[in-house]
Parts: sequence; C-alpha cells; structure tokens
Amino acid sequence: MNPSQTPLSTNSAQPQPSPLSQTTSGPNTLDIVNLRKVFGGRGKGGGVVAVNDVTFSIRRGEVLGLVGESGSGKSTIARLIARLYQPTSGEIRLNGEVVPHKLGGRGLRQLRRRVQMIFQDPYASLNPLHPVSYTLARPLKIHRLARGNTDPQVRVLLERVGLTPALTYAAKRPFELSGGQRQRVGIARALAAQPELILADEPTSALDVSIRLDVMNLMLDLKDQEGLSMLFITHDLAGARYMSDRVAVLYAGTLVEIGPAVQVIDQPQHPYTQLLKSAAPKPDAGLTPDHIEARGEVPDLSTLPPGCPFEPRCPYAMRECKDGLPRMYDVGGEHQARCLLHDPAIKARQAVAGYAP
Amino acid sequence: MNGVRILLRQPRSLVGAGILLVLLLMGLLAPLITPYDPNSLEFGPFMPLSAQHPLGTTAIGQDIFAQLLYGARLTLLVGAVAGLIATILSVTLGLTAAYVGGWVDEAINALINVFLVLPGLPLVIIAAAFLRGGGVWPVILVISLTGWAWGARVLRAQAMALRERDFVQAAVASGEGPGRIIFMEILPNMTSLIAANFFGAALYAVLSEAGLSFIGVGDVSLVTWGTMLYWAQAKGALLQGAWWWVAMPGLGIALLGTSFALLNFAIDQLGNPRLGWGSVKSPRRKLAPTPPAAGNALLAVRDLDVGYVTPQGTVRAVRKVSLDVAPGEFVGLAGESGCGKSTLAFAATRLLNPPGEVLGGSVSLAGHDLLSLTPEALRQVRWKEFSVVFQASMNVLNPVLKIREQVYDAMQAHGITDPARLDARARELFALVGIQIRYLDSYPHQLSGGMKQRVVIAIALALEPKLIVMDEPTTALDVVVQRQILQEIAEVRRRLQISIVFITHDLSLLVEMSDRVAIMYAGELVEQAPAHDLYAHPAHPYTQQLMKAFPPMTGPRERRSGIPGRPPSLSETLPGCPFFERCAVRMPGTCDVKPLETFTVGEAHTVACFLYDPAVSPATKELALSHALNPVIAKEVQLESVPNSALH
Ligand SMILES: Nc1ncnc2c1ncn2[C@@H]1O[C@H](COP(=O)(O)OP(=O)(O)OP(=O)(O)O)[C@@H](O)[C@H]1O
Ligand code: SF4
Ligand code: SF4
Ligand SMILES: [Mg+2]
Repeated sequence: MNPSQTPLSTNSAQPQPSPLSQTTSGPNTLDIVNLRKVFGGRGKGGGVVAVNDVTFSIRRGEVLGLVGESGSGKSTIARLIARLYQPTSGEIRLNGEVVPHKLGGRGLRQLRRRVQMIFQDPYASLNPLHPVSYTLARPLKIHRLARGNTDPQVRVLLERVGLTPALTYAAKRPFELSGGQRQRVGIARALAAQPELILADEPTSALDVSIRLDVMNLMLDLKDQEGLSMLFITHDLAGARYMSDRVAVLYAGTLVEIGPAVQVIDQPQHPYTQLLKSAAPKPDAGLTPDHIEARGEVPDLSTLPPGCPFEPRCPYAMRECKDGLPRMYDVGGEHQARCLLHDPAIKARQAVAGYAP
Repeated sequence: MNGVRILLRQPRSLVGAGILLVLLLMGLLAPLITPYDPNSLEFGPFMPLSAQHPLGTTAIGQDIFAQLLYGARLTLLVGAVAGLIATILSVTLGLTAAYVGGWVDEAINALINVFLVLPGLPLVIIAAAFLRGGGVWPVILVISLTGWAWGARVLRAQAMALRERDFVQAAVASGEGPGRIIFMEILPNMTSLIAANFFGAALYAVLSEAGLSFIGVGDVSLVTWGTMLYWAQAKGALLQGAWWWVAMPGLGIALLGTSFALLNFAIDQLGNPRLGWGSVKSPRRKLAPTPPAAGNALLAVRDLDVGYVTPQGTVRAVRKVSLDVAPGEFVGLAGESGCGKSTLAFAATRLLNPPGEVLGGSVSLAGHDLLSLTPEALRQVRWKEFSVVFQASMNVLNPVLKIREQVYDAMQAHGITDPARLDARARELFALVGIQIRYLDSYPHQLSGGMKQRVVIAIALALEPKLIVMDEPTTALDVVVQRQILQEIAEVRRRLQISIVFITHDLSLLVEMSDRVAIMYAGELVEQAPAHDLYAHPAHPYTQQLMKAFPPMTGPRERRSGIPGRPPSLSETLPGCPFFERCAVRMPGTCDVKPLETFTVGEAHTVACFLYDPAVSPATKELALSHALNPVIAKEVQLESVPNSALH
C-alpha cells in the first residue's frame, strides 16, 4: 500500500493523488510560514519564544497531526491560527489568501468562521449555564448562517455528531452529558460555522479510553464525508498515526520532523521523535530493562541553547550541534528532519569513522 | 434556580434571610404597627416602658418604638442602595479591567489599590463632613464611593480567571463579540460572587452609616438606627437609666449586620464549595471484623464493599471485590474512569474520607486486619508496611520546606533520628529514583513535575515498605518522563522485592509493567489474569473491547471501534452483569437476571461473565455469539476465549 494514502478513509479503495505529484487541486487550506510567537519581555531580548519560526501546510481534506511534549508550543500554534493570540511575526495563509497581521471587526469574524477550534477539556469548554441548543445556535447566528429559527440546523448538527435523539440533547445542559457527549457537542459547535479548517487541540486526551476511539472515528468520518481539513494536536504518537495523513513533530517551539504519518512514526528520523516513540507503552514487549538514552526533562524555553534545541538531551549530540539551528533535511519522500545526522558532510565523516546512530 | 434551592437548605442562609425579612417587615409595616410619628414631640421626655410606649420616649418626647420601626426603613435603604451602587461600580470596573486588559486594566487596578490602602473610615468622615445635613443621599453616595474597591478586586480576579477558561476562549474563537462574551459567558458565571459582594457591601454601608451618624457627621435630623444612637448618647440616655434607647438600635444594627454577613458567607460558599470541607479522617469499620484471609498473600482484600453515602442515596463504588497481592508481585488495576479503582485503593489503605465508607469485607496486610486497627496502630503500619503515591501527590510537597526535611519526615516519625543515618538514607533513596543529590536542599518549586513525583516516590520508599499502592502516579507527566519514572519503579521493585499495586486507565502500559492485571468495571472486578495471558487471551467481552480501544503503534492502519455507551450509574443495584447494556455478545434472559458470578478459565485467570458459566446452555451462548452486535468481538470470543468445555 502506498504509505501516503489514508488507509483509514472509507474510500481508500479509490486511488488518491500521491502527495508528490500534487501540483493540481488548488491552494492548500492552510500555509504557515516562519510563524513566531514570543511571550512577554517587550522589546529588549527577554521573553519566551513559544513558537520559533514554524513552517508547514495543510492540504485540502488532510489531517496534519501535531505532536510534542507539553509546553512545546502545540496549543500556541493553534491559538495563533485562530487569532486568539497575535503572532509576533510570520505569515498565515488560508486557501492561498494571506491573513492580514492587523485584523479586527469583520475580518476577524470572517477568519473565525473559516477556522474553528475544538478544545481539549470538554468539561471546561462548554459554558455550564447554557443548554446545548444555545451553544450550537450561537455560531449560526454570529455568522448569519441561519435565518430565524435555528432549531432545524441545530438538530442536523447534533445528528451529524451522533447525538440522537437530537431534540433531547438540544435541551440538555453540560452537566447532564458524559465526557464523550460533551466533546461531540464541542465538535458540533466547530462544524456549525461551516469552517474550512478545524483546529483540534488534544480533543481526546481528556476522554476515557473507551470513548476516545469513538470521538476519533467521528472526526475521521467527518473528514472523509465532508472533506474537512484538520490540525490534530496530540501528545500520543499512536493517536497521531491513527488520525493523520501527515505528522509534524514539535520540540521546544521548533519543528523538528514532518512527513507522512506512517513514515514519521514507523521510521522516525529525528532523535527526539525516536525518543518519543521509545517512551510509548508497548504491551507486547515487557518493560525493557535498557534505559532510553535521554538526559534531562522538558526544556526550559527561556534558557534554550543556541544550536539544536534537543542538544542537551540528545544521545548523538556532536560539536557542530551547538553551532546554530540545523536546517530541515530531506530524508526521503516528503519526509524531513531537522538534525545534522542527515547532513551529507557529517554522514560521510561518520561513515569513515564507522559510526552509525 | 438550583443555587437558590441549595441556599434554602443551608441553615446559615435561612437564618440570614429570616432576620432580613423580619427587619424589612418592621420597616415596611411601621405605620400599621405603631400609631405614632417617629418625629412627633407630643410626649413627655424619658417616659418609662409602658403599654402605650413599649420602649418609652426620648429626651425630647419622641416614641422610641416608632423611631426603631421607622429607623429600619432608612437604615435598610442606606444598606441596599449603597450596596447596590458599590456592587455596580465593582462589577463594571472589575469586569472592564479584566476584559479589556492592557493599560485600562493597569489604570483601574491602580485606582482599586489606592482605594484599598486609603483608610476607609477617616475618608468617609471627611467626605461626609463636607456634605453634612444634605439628607440621606450624600451619605449613601460617600459610602458607595468608598466601598466598591474590595469587590472590584475580587471580581476582577474572578473575571480574569473566567476569561482564560476554555468556554470563553471557545466563544471568542467562534467569533462572538465582546458584549455577548461579557454578558452571556462571563457574567452569568459570576452571579454568586456578585450576590455575595452585594451583601458584603451592604454590611459595610450599614456599619458606616451607623458610625457616621454616631459621631454626628451624617444628617442627624433623619431617623436611622445610627442617628438614634447618636441622640441617645448625646442626651445621656444611660445616665437616665433608659438603656433600651441605646440597646434597641444597637441590636437592630447587629442583627442586620449578622444577616448580611450570613447571606454573604452562604452565597460565597455556594460558589466556592471547598470552604465547607471537613477534615481528613480514616474511618474504622463499623462491622464485626472477619478473620484475616489465609494463604501467603501479602495483601488480601476479601469481598470488599465500599460506598459513598450521599443525600441522593448510596453510591456503591466497590462491590464485593476480592484481590490478592503476593509478596514482590506487581499487580495492575485498570478500568475506565469512575469504575472504582481509586476508591478501592483508598479503602484498602484506610485513606477513605467521608462520605466514603467501608460497608463490608476485610483487608489484611502482612497479618494486620487493616480495617479494624486503631488509628495509632494504623500509623505504625503505614509507611513501615505500606505507603501510597497518588496522581497529584507531587502537589502534596510542602512549598516552604526543603525537600530534605520532607524526606526525613516519615523516617523521623518512625524513630530514625540520627542525622548521619538520615542523610545516608536520603542519598540512597535519591540515587534509587534517579534524582541528583543536590536537589535534597532545594525547595519544591525549584523542581520540575517529574522530579517532584520522583521525590514523592522516594519518600514512599523511605521505610522500605512491603507494599506501595500507586494511583496513576505518572498520568500528569509527559510520556518521556513517565517512561523514565516507570523504569525506576520497575527497577526498585526488582531490587527491593516490594509488592506494587499500580492503578491506571492505560491498559497497554499496565500489560507491559505488571505481573498480573485486574480489570474493574462499574465497581466489580470483572477479570483477573497474568498480564500476558490477559493480553493474549482476554476473556471478558469488556476486556476484549478495551484492548481494541487503543490505536496501535505498529501494523496496518485500520479502523477500530471504541465501546459505545457508558457504564451504569453506581447508585443503581443491578440484578445481573453490569456490562450488559454495552456488551456485544450479551445473552438476554441470562446476563441481566442472574447474580454475577466469577468463573475460572485458566491458571490464575478468572472472569465474571456468564459466557464461561457451565450452567448456561451452549445453545444460548451460540445464539448470543451469532447474533452479536459486534461481529468482530463475537469472532474473537468464539475463536480464542470461550473454552470448548464451556461452549459444548
Ligand atoms: N499566555 C502565555 N504567557 C506566557 N507564556 C505562555 C503563554 N501561553 C503559553 N506560554 C508558554 O508557551 C509555551 C508553549 O505552551 P503551549 O501551551 O503551546 O504548549 P503545549 O505543547 O500545548 O502544552 P500542553 O500539552 O501542556 O498543552 C510554554 O512554555 C508556556 O509556558
Ligand atoms: S542536530 Fe545534533 S543534537 Fe540535534 S538532534 Fe541532531 S544529533 Fe542531536
Ligand atoms: S456476555 Fe453477558 S455476562 Fe458476559 S459480559 Fe456480556 S452481558 Fe456480561
Ligand atoms: Mg496544550
């Protein structure tokens, strides 16, 4: 099977255009170019670089998985795209159009129709005082997608996310719903505005294991049936592999690896991705006695080294790694990794020394 | 409304509202209660108490009872109006500051701080002195202008917290404008705080008015309880023996103040329920102790029944659970949230807090009947025989004590006092869990979450207990850190031969770590097996579905399904299998009527499912499997799990 295909699609029997030859089919749903966010420390040096010149794209009908530890800047990227935060610099394009840096009033409202978020904690993301019908009717009214009575559209939305009988659910308040049901309401709210892009920030990690898969399947169905594009943020590699067409790995605000999901997760090319993978539970293995080679813990963004951000923890770190941020190297197909081990000169040197990671 | 109903059940708010109602009626119905005008001077001075003048008369011949009744009017008016104005100011300024942010917030915050540090009463006195004699409104104005700052600060903080809440962010992200965000999303969630704030401000207003009048700065020609006090004092009421002239308005003010304070507190508690929590207790079992279980188990839980006794009924969170842990064994306990894992852990270690209660069964640990130990004996056993590590336990480290002191604590409590020995042991423990020795002299805030959790594990190991119960010790941590800690735990256990009960909802993690795994569902232990048997041949339909509910890390990418539905409410009494509603291979007429039983399906492998009941006819089982709602699971049951003997 072509690894770049989505085996999970219900229509996976049909041949899909290979991403390599994807020169047709119009602009990407989302392009972010050198997106940067610095928190605090106005002006002089200081401040925390939460997102460090990140560049990636999401194609139409594609799910991009964004993986990383907590504090790596995953949520910040989603909030920058939704303009809950103002980017420090960089460019965001939706369907090829640049989203202006200064945005207010109508422009902002329009952006917020085209881009919708699904939040991590379904217990916190619904106002406890409003019934489901209110929560779902608001986007319809804000964006003038309904004339007069919104009830029929609310009913359709609830049915789309599998909350039937819709009439019963429309009248409920969040405390009457289970976690999975709440997250379905959260998904329905995102769908209500008929967005082009959905930003799902860890939509399943607050859910119980037994219902996680149902929520993921719902999102995959919506993607397949309605051609939605999605940024799926998670810290769980297996979940990213299940949900995504491509996966991007973030470390300390920096994009360190990106490529087709199966390739990135089955053969990770960046030492950090390898570390993440080796840390995931392996029920069939038995706890391996050999310690994974990783020193230290989650990095402190205010004291990052000048070179490769993973250098202090990297088992393969070399002298050159401190010199500057490595660039992204092509490692096969559409797969790229930001690690000097893929630098041709260094590779050659190591081959001579008989050293291979 | 729900909140109002809860308030009406609270004695505090009932008393507060009752007093307020009485005072209100006194003021409103004054003309009906007394025939006299409070200002008429038609009677003699200092008349004694009589039927005609229940509280006598003043120095200039006014009826004190009439004054008291009419005084309630103005006093309440001052309280209500000044309270209202101050609250409106607090809400407007606090919310504006929180919502707009930036320099507006800084300016308002500065203003709030100025008003907070200005000494309130002198300011009121000066301002009131200028406005003297202008009636009641200047007084109200002055009081509200000085009384809003405290509320504004609290409301600003609350609004800022709410602003960051996901549901507000979600509303912003869906394009909602500022007006709706403030009035539909933020404000409704602040009603109890605003109401509490109103009563607080009203209390301040009543007391300030009384104070002002008493020292004669208000408009003393008005009749309020404050001015009554002023005149009583000025005319030497006490010297004349007319103590009631002072006492009655004083009592009125005290009662009104009490009522406002009670209402304030009750509403505040409504929005902040933690204030009402009781202290931690370890209830001893009320039942007759059952003899400790036999065998060589280190921990033996027998038919343990645990419930939470609530006004809505008893939630039976653990139902007749029996579980053995052998010395040195690593037992994993899994199940979805709310199925009773933590309750089991708490109850088995006597850490259960009310309203949790052990309703039956026994727990024996290394020969101690744990549930009937006296608190003193329990203290001896805890830490020495067993210790516990909980999910948020990294937050139990005391922020103002050095790590070293906290590591020493348990050891000192058990008689190790020699400093050299303590230090040596602390170093040993830190080496064991993989933290650098230098962190012994740090404070908790200098450590990352992962290191704090390691410290907690080190403390749990301090006295070399025979058993450690760990309830989701790593779920709050990142995968890499989690893996590092789990490896330390596995290593320590191998070296020290301790038993571990490890609770998590992450089944794949558990299978990897444990010797034996127990699966809980809706308060019942539904399956128990050696970890690799459970992984290779899960027998219970729930376990089978749970195993499939994780996306795999390897192999082909294909759709998997979760488990539709949700567990039954634990306050219900179920006649049969608790999984019936969600089970893909259920046997109606059997599973939903027979009391649940546990069957042995392999070596040390037990399962609570009637598919393995030899008494159920093979035809019934075949029928259920062939009509299965979920053919994949049915196939699995058929092929792998149901022993032939049970099917045929
Ligand atoms: N409003 C803020 N002010 C200052 N720093 C912030 C703010 N929001 C995020 N940060 C910092 O930015 C970094 C990235 O945070 P972000 O929330 O994006 O991480 P994440 O990968 O989503 O983490 P998690 O998985 O825990 O949600 C962190 O170091 C965080 O402390
Ligand atoms: S660039 Fe160097 S330090 Fe960074 S990941 Fe590659 S080998 Fe490690
Ligand atoms: S087959 Fe019957 S007893 Fe077994 S899990 Fe299903 S409903 Fe319960
Ligand atoms: Mg996040």
